[in-house]
Amino acid sequence: MKRRQLIASAASLAPFVVLGQPAFAADKVLTVGAAVFPDTLKPGIGSFASQSLLVQTNEQLVQRDAVGNPQPTLATSWELVEPTTMRFHLRQGVKFTDGVEFTADDVVYTIGYVQDPQNAYGAAARISAVTGATAVDKYTVDIKTKAVFPTLLRAMAEVPILPKHYAEKVGTKGLTDKPMGTGPFIFQEWVPGDHYTLTSNKNYWGGAPKFDKVIIRTIPDGSTRVAALVSGEAQIIEEVPIDLIEQVQASGVAKVDEIATSVGLVLTFDTLIKPFDNPKVREAFDYAIDKPLILKQILKGQGEILDAQLLTKAALGYNPDIKARPFDPAKAKQMLVEAGYDFNTPVPILTQNGKYVSDTDICNAIAGMLNNIGVKATVDAVEGGTFQARANVMKMGALHMIGWYSLGDGDFATVWYTKAGHRTNWYSEDYEKMFTAARSTNDEKERIRLYHEMAALAYKEMPSLFLFGLPSLYGVNKNVTGFGAASDKILHLAKVEFK
Amino acid sequence: MILRYILRRLAFLPLTLLLVALATFVVLRLTGNPVDIFLDINRTPEQVEALTKRLHLDLPIPAQFLIFLRDLLHGDFGESLQFSGSAATVVWERAGATFQLAGTALGLAVVLGVTGGIVCAVWRDRAADAVISSIAVAGQSMPSFWLGMLLIEFFALQLHWLPTSGYGDLAHLVLPAITLATILLPNFVLITRTSLLELMGEQFVVTARSKGFSRGRALLTHILPNAVNPVLSFLGIQIGTLMAGSIITETIYAWPGVGRLLINSIFHRDVPVVEAAVFFIATTIALSNLAVDVLQMLIDPRIRRA
Repeated sequence: MKRRQLIASAASLAPFVVLGQPAFAADKVLTVGAAVFPDTLKPGIGSFASQSLLVQTNEQLVQRDAVGNPQPTLATSWELVEPTTMRFHLRQGVKFTDGVEFTADDVVYTIGYVQDPQNAYGAAARISAVTGATAVDKYTVDIKTKAVFPTLLRAMAEVPILPKHYAEKVGTKGLTDKPMGTGPFIFQEWVPGDHYTLTSNKNYWGGAPKFDKVIIRTIPDGSTRVAALVSGEAQIIEEVPIDLIEQVQASGVAKVDEIATSVGLVLTFDTLIKPFDNPKVREAFDYAIDKPLILKQILKGQGEILDAQLLTKAALGYNPDIKARPFDPAKAKQMLVEAGYDFNTPVPILTQNGKYVSDTDICNAIAGMLNNIGVKATVDAVEGGTFQARANVMKMGALHMIGWYSLGDGDFATVWYTKAGHRTNWYSEDYEKMFTAARSTNDEKERIRLYHEMAALAYKEMPSLFLFGLPSLYGVNKNVTGFGAASDKILHLAKVEFK
Repeated sequence: MILRYILRRLAFLPLTLLLVALATFVVLRLTGNPVDIFLDINRTPEQVEALTKRLHLDLPIPAQFLIFLRDLLHGDFGESLQFSGSAATVVWERAGATFQLAGTALGLAVVLGVTGGIVCAVWRDRAADAVISSIAVAGQSMPSFWLGMLLIEFFALQLHWLPTSGYGDLAHLVLPAITLATILLPNFVLITRTSLLELMGEQFVVTARSKGFSRGRALLTHILPNAVNPVLSFLGIQIGTLMAGSIITETIYAWPGVGRLLINSIFHRDVPVVEAAVFFIATTIALSNLAVDVLQMLIDPRIRRA
């Protein structure tokens, strides 16, 4: 009944629809539906969503490939000239889209920009050991660090290069209002909260894109995003909601492109709260959770089960010798009884709602599984601000859920279990020592060995319940080729082709 | 007379807005340190210090509030943390989209709602009344995110008449406006129907009819003019509902309005923008209510005298 009335009222407006057809002439336009849309193009705002827009115009020295390994971009090669100095050889003959040549001065300027606290640059901490950059010649830059800093190269993938001459002319506001770089696309229009339009850079050093324009539209609601893909309004959408995967696959118009991200979803214990100071209790909880079932039913088989360690399989430092504990509720219960566990202990599970894929659903399932062995677990879903406020004072309660990015390198994820990470109350002197040792050597083999040992220690100690490596799910029109889902959620559009 | 009334009401406006400003300020300070939430998880101490200074969070709370008020008097909410530019400008840039959506929705709700209410009252207890009234009750209980999904499915995916979402020409406005209008529309039907039915039993209407006025003439000259005020006062109350509803509607349809801006800014604790957006919405509601009251005075001499 309701629908009849609505159809009638919409039909009365139908004449406008014909008048309102968009007039895109002959331009070949790629439309992308973005899930998270930053409110600004300000460099270094910190989020992946923001970085994803910035790198369309401004490229980094190295970019991560789909699985997260650094690849030559504006730098063609690099080497350590001293343990604390990395020399980057820059790509020659690359021009910014205003025609000025890209040189070492731009890299030096960019490093200075990142380090200026006034700019609140998100990746500043990732290059915190950097003392400065100097131009050796026009195409060579030395980046110096105060100590050995093995993660410098990967960190440079977080820093899009800003054009010095342009920045000096237009200032920070100009850089934000109208970004300009060496990338495959050129800024055309930015409408906050709505869309970002870019034209193709016909002189792009990596080969001009095969279409004229890209429009990155924000579509915050998951089902609307899928509707835009299925209706053909968008050719690519970010973050297909798990429960709509089937709808996309069945549409005949589009498919789901999935890749494992480097996000490890974990439930962390507050080991200062009794009885969670007892590693046996923490281990028992691990046996009580049927991870394959959650993966199948809630995550619909997307993503991976973490192998009882924080790192996902593709990350540097992943320990292949450790496997996830099997689901064994009887054993879990028995271990708890042996540990003298008081089954009346309240076990609140603190989570945010919608921050990670199916976060609250997963917590509810886990609470149910813990209830099955008699543990009084409940779920406490709170808003981001509240969650952060409790994180700051490190009072998260018995268990809390968080997704930790490793960005492909053990260093960035393992830091969370150290004192400096300021994220867990669990503390191990051995772990701390190994972390420092791994951070102080450029020998990759040695670093991997240390991360393996740290994972083995964490497996025994279980500061967290290691759950899932989360997937990144893109919806892609069947006529689109050359788009690959990326583990870091950055849109790579330069090689996209479509009919 | 009316002018004096308007001036008196306008004189109270700053007090209302001051209370709103105070409430926003307190809530934002109570729900966690904005610096911790806005800055990246890997923030450096230097960045924390710079932002703390910028937001004056290093000063005692009363001093912070005074600075906030001083800037407010100059219409200055400060620079947005996420956007380049002042928070006031950022909000104002989105205001057009919100006015467009809320205005169309309100227009639809009033026109269709009042028409429906008249039909119901005139053909009371007949088929038309039964159908429209039940649709209205159903509409009242339909959550707008669900209605939004249904509309997109039907008009965008099945019929291909309208785009699924986004901002642009009139076609983009249709579905969001209908969705938002549906929050208010059923109430307009029911309010109009009730007030008309009440009036139909009044003595002056019965007298008019007995003097030989046709039903139509009695409706036009005696009943409808008297029914305008109850509908108007309801409209005044509903402006707030409309603004709240626009937040959900803007999210479903990716509409670039103030509602979504506000939600987004709250998540990122972009304090200046949150303050500016709340202030904008409060001002809109206060001014709309004033307009409604003035209209009522113009229409009804009894209110003028009171």
